[in-house]
Amino acid sequence: MEFKEKLISSYLAFEGDLDLLDSVHQTRAKALRVFEKKGFPTKKDESWKYTSLNALVNADYALFPRSEASIELKDVKKYFLYDTDTYKVIFIDGVYSPFLSNTTHDGLDVCLMSAALTKPKYRNLINTYFNKIASLEESLTALNTSYSKEGAFVYIPKKTVAEKPIEIIHFASGEEHSLWLQPRNLIVVDKNSQVQIIERHQSLKDHPVVTNSVTEVYVHEEAFVDYYKLQNDLTSASLIDNTYIQQAKNSHASVHTFSLGGKLVRNNLRYYHTGQRILSTLKGVTILEGKQHVDHSTMVHHSHPNCESHQDYKGIFSERSEGVFNGQILVEKIAQKTNAFQQNNNVLLDDKATVNSKPQLEIYADDVKCSHGCTIGQMDEEALFYLRSRGIPKKEAKALMTYAFANNVLESVQLPSLKKRINGQIASKLGVNLGFEL
Amino acid sequence: MAYTEEELKKELETKEYEYGFYTDIESDTFPVGLNEDIIRKISEKKGEPDWMTKWRLEAFSSFKKMVEPDWSNVKYKKPDLQKISYYSAPKKKPKYNSLEEVDPELLKTFDKLGISVDEQKKLSGVAVDIVMDSVSVATTFRETLAKKGIIFCSISEAIQKHPELVKKYIGTVIPPRDNYYSALNSAVFTDGSFCYIPKGVRCPMELSTYFRINQAGTGQFERTLVIADEQSYVSYLEGCTAPSRDENQLHAAVVELIALDDAEIKYSTVQNWFPGDKNGKGGVFNFVTKRGLCHNRAKISWTQVETGSAVTWKYPSCVLKGDNSIGEFYSIAVTNNFQQADTGTKMVHLGNNTRSTIISKGISAGKSQNSYRGLVKVGSRAKNARNFSQCDSLLMGNNCGAHTFPYIEAKNNSAQVEHEATTSKIGEDQIFYCNQRGIDTEKAIALIVNGFSKEVLNKLPMEFAVEAQKLLEISLEGSVG
Amino acid sequence: MLTIENLHAEVEGRTILNGIDLNVKAGEVHAIMGPNGSGKSTLSSVIAGNEDYDVTQGKILFKGKDLSGLDPEERAHLGIFLSFQYPVEIPGVTVTNFIKTAINANRKAQGLSDLGASELLKKIREKSTLLDIDSKFLSRSLNEGFSGGEKKRNEIFQMAMLEPTLAILDETDSGLDIDALKIVANGVNKFKAKENAVVVITHYQRLLEYIVPDFVHVLFGGKIVKSGTKELAHELEAKGYDWIKELA
Repeated sequence: MEFKEKLISSYLAFEGDLDLLDSVHQTRAKALRVFEKKGFPTKKDESWKYTSLNALVNADYALFPRSEASIELKDVKKYFLYDTDTYKVIFIDGVYSPFLSNTTHDGLDVCLMSAALTKPKYRNLINTYFNKIASLEESLTALNTSYSKEGAFVYIPKKTVAEKPIEIIHFASGEEHSLWLQPRNLIVVDKNSQVQIIERHQSLKDHPVVTNSVTEVYVHEEAFVDYYKLQNDLTSASLIDNTYIQQAKNSHASVHTFSLGGKLVRNNLRYYHTGQRILSTLKGVTILEGKQHVDHSTMVHHSHPNCESHQDYKGIFSERSEGVFNGQILVEKIAQKTNAFQQNNNVLLDDKATVNSKPQLEIYADDVKCSHGCTIGQMDEEALFYLRSRGIPKKEAKALMTYAFANNVLESVQLPSLKKRINGQIASKLGVNLGFEL
Repeated sequence: MAYTEEELKKELETKEYEYGFYTDIESDTFPVGLNEDIIRKISEKKGEPDWMTKWRLEAFSSFKKMVEPDWSNVKYKKPDLQKISYYSAPKKKPKYNSLEEVDPELLKTFDKLGISVDEQKKLSGVAVDIVMDSVSVATTFRETLAKKGIIFCSISEAIQKHPELVKKYIGTVIPPRDNYYSALNSAVFTDGSFCYIPKGVRCPMELSTYFRINQAGTGQFERTLVIADEQSYVSYLEGCTAPSRDENQLHAAVVELIALDDAEIKYSTVQNWFPGDKNGKGGVFNFVTKRGLCHNRAKISWTQVETGSAVTWKYPSCVLKGDNSIGEFYSIAVTNNFQQADTGTKMVHLGNNTRSTIISKGISAGKSQNSYRGLVKVGSRAKNARNFSQCDSLLMGNNCGAHTFPYIEAKNNSAQVEHEATTSKIGEDQIFYCNQRGIDTEKAIALIVNGFSKEVLNKLPMEFAVEAQKLLEISLEGSVG
Repeated sequence: MLTIENLHAEVEGRTILNGIDLNVKAGEVHAIMGPNGSGKSTLSSVIAGNEDYDVTQGKILFKGKDLSGLDPEERAHLGIFLSFQYPVEIPGVTVTNFIKTAINANRKAQGLSDLGASELLKKIREKSTLLDIDSKFLSRSLNEGFSGGEKKRNEIFQMAMLEPTLAILDETDSGLDIDALKIVANGVNKFKAKENAVVVITHYQRLLEYIVPDFVHVLFGGKIVKSGTKELAHELEAKGYDWIKELA
């Protein structure tokens, strides 16, 4: 049986313990029909031109883990941002782990999607926000919606600054031979509030895992959301991350994506505006090797005047790895005085590495400042020589230059401990110890 | 007392397409429709050898299996290919040995086009081949060229007289099944230009072709083949016009360039097909496939000024197959009123040390949509490929769109690719500055647009550059709002 | 030549000029001084016809003609030249081409035919020597990448080429070192004649050492609060603008 068929036929089992008459469930059922009609995207779809899911979806996966996996804190502690006190929403094979988590309802809600979807006190929030900006047409998002049941739910009320960052971590235990996960997150940040979120997906064993995740983020007036995606999974794991962000006037939403691991990673990041003077920031550092493949597909939809967006993606590719950047800036006629910028810089370190870049501007307003730039090149040999002539070994010199290349993205990371963590990950990825903090 | 903006706009709107006249020449036109018989008839009419007829029919059978592409950023009603006549030739058309023999009506047409053949002959020494409704009517300067061994004639004639060259090269750069319109063209093309520059010869003059669609209900499907043998050089110019008609006319041309080792081809186009009226009625659908193949150390340079056509879909490309070969693309695309253009280039780097440059300037006004779409591809074995692309868009008014869709694919780590794009509008302060110096707003815009397009205008041969500048001005008239 | 009567002007609803009266005759040099924000640049923009400013009261007469309702280019055709405080960049258009276009547009307005290439060249050579302008400079894009001094010299060069009857120099001295200042002043002095007039707008007295004014006016709060001869400029230099504020 094809995996697509399995997803459709297994739906009865999924529905089993759900309230079929509930409006959320009707949304799910509708989404399933979209997926059934469209199936998985193929390279014929313009937005999937450079990324093939064939190899992934031609395999078989368990949809529901059979046994509850138990994980010791000591085994996973290293994946936490331990030296910062954080709220934590932790899942193991898609199932909430109360033991590892640290949720709250004190002044703000950091809890479970399953609770939000079923408890009456969240009903209004769910009616207002659930599946309102996630695409109804995009087949992978629809697939996630149809199976949406569990994930993180965050609600920050008005004038509230979340004092601790929120970590959302999805572990795959490896108990199943192969596993297909579909977490669903909903984050609502009300007026004048602030929150920092760190999201990661981590396999603990070398078994095939595919995660098709959807996150909806609502950023109200004057609010600030600072979102970090850490993608440093084992090379047996793949991730399709679909993040939809809606911003109200005077808000700022920033997403940093660090793609250092995984087999195939696709990031669909979409921004929508509902007011003026909005700032949208999209930044990414991608460092790949082996046969890793990372595809960043971004879209900022400028539909109101006086807004600004900045996109800056850096990629470093060695061995046979492949990088894709597919960035779109869409400026509607009404969105005068838009400032929208997009940068994509890539370095190819090895012969067989590939970069495909498609930065797009689609502009219908005349009084705008929009630009994009894309470069593909090598490490500056002269600079490398300069460093080596000062006594820095080649490997370290290369690492240093990699840092320099990625620096303006790393610089804007607001959490010092996170910055340190990412620097460490990059250093170990490059196999060096620079002996100093950057 | 000066015009108000409104009055100015009004007056300029009534300015008609300057080249929108119809020449009253009796034509021999086929009935409408597309089928194997029509293709056989075209081939027969042209007295073609069997291999050519067969080639056309093969192309047609590929064509039947294809569907019209819809990935480009243009919207239009797809032309009904069964409602087009695929052959229309001026009737009094045997062969012309000199211009004196040409139908005087036809010569008048060229006068109106501002390309008096006589005058050009005297002034610029440009050899002209004129293709009217797909049939080549006059080729000037033939003898001068023949002395150097240069063949410059209609493609029909080349099929008759130089079948070995045509057979060897036609369809090698753009195979008939390359795309929907190239397949159609391969099946039904009625004429076009052919040019061969022998080894080591530097063509002493600009070669020029003028295309014109005259007859109603016809499509134009010309085919151009330019072969520059080793170490040769040629500069080739192409211009186009069509009468103003309410209906949409289809133009689906194929241009193939072959630059052998150390050869250089410079191909310049000033495209001014009827763009439709100010309400978006009528106009030419310009669906053109142009591609050049570069052998070792060869260079192909495309320069285009696109101001006409209701819908343009065109990507002059370079396949840089040979080591050290060079591809260039310089483009100005202006859209006004309801025009739509989706144009750009493809630079395919296959050989070592290949270089390409792309400079694209898009100017949108009125309610038009102007897209740049380009591909830079570096093959896995292409060492040290270099590309630089600069795509700038200028928006005039708030009812138009400017879009940039670059595709960059690098599979070799020694590649260096740089792409930059900007979008801006003409500044009020720039216009006021010009006004203060006594320059009126229309003129100020023309000046600013010319400045914006300068890098590309500079690449055009002298005579063309002046014409192109005028065209830019005419195309943008009435666009200030 | 230029008569301004009770001129009031505003921008985006904010009143900047509050009843200006000024009379400039042929052969005269007037200096308009005043602290920042006093309305100096607004005055020059309004005379040149910048549509960002609305004239709410009063009028400007030039050679007896009411300028209201005239486009900027029509005012230029009448012989008004404004040397911009911040000259605008026009990429891709060379200084030469720009001047050619401007000269011919002005000639056309006067019913004259285009200036021949050789005459134009001769004139360019003559005036560029006067302002110590390198010929390479002439082939560069207008104001693009020019230093502050180059931009100002280019403005004066254009003035020399266009030969207006009224030249308004808006903060032409700002951003100039002493050598450039001398060159610019020299250009203006060569231009000065019986049949034309110059209005120098400046914050400092420095430029007036080289372009000696017949009259000095002090602008404050959108009004001319004091007029005098060149001694007034020295007084301002010595005492600053504070005492002027008390006059207002």
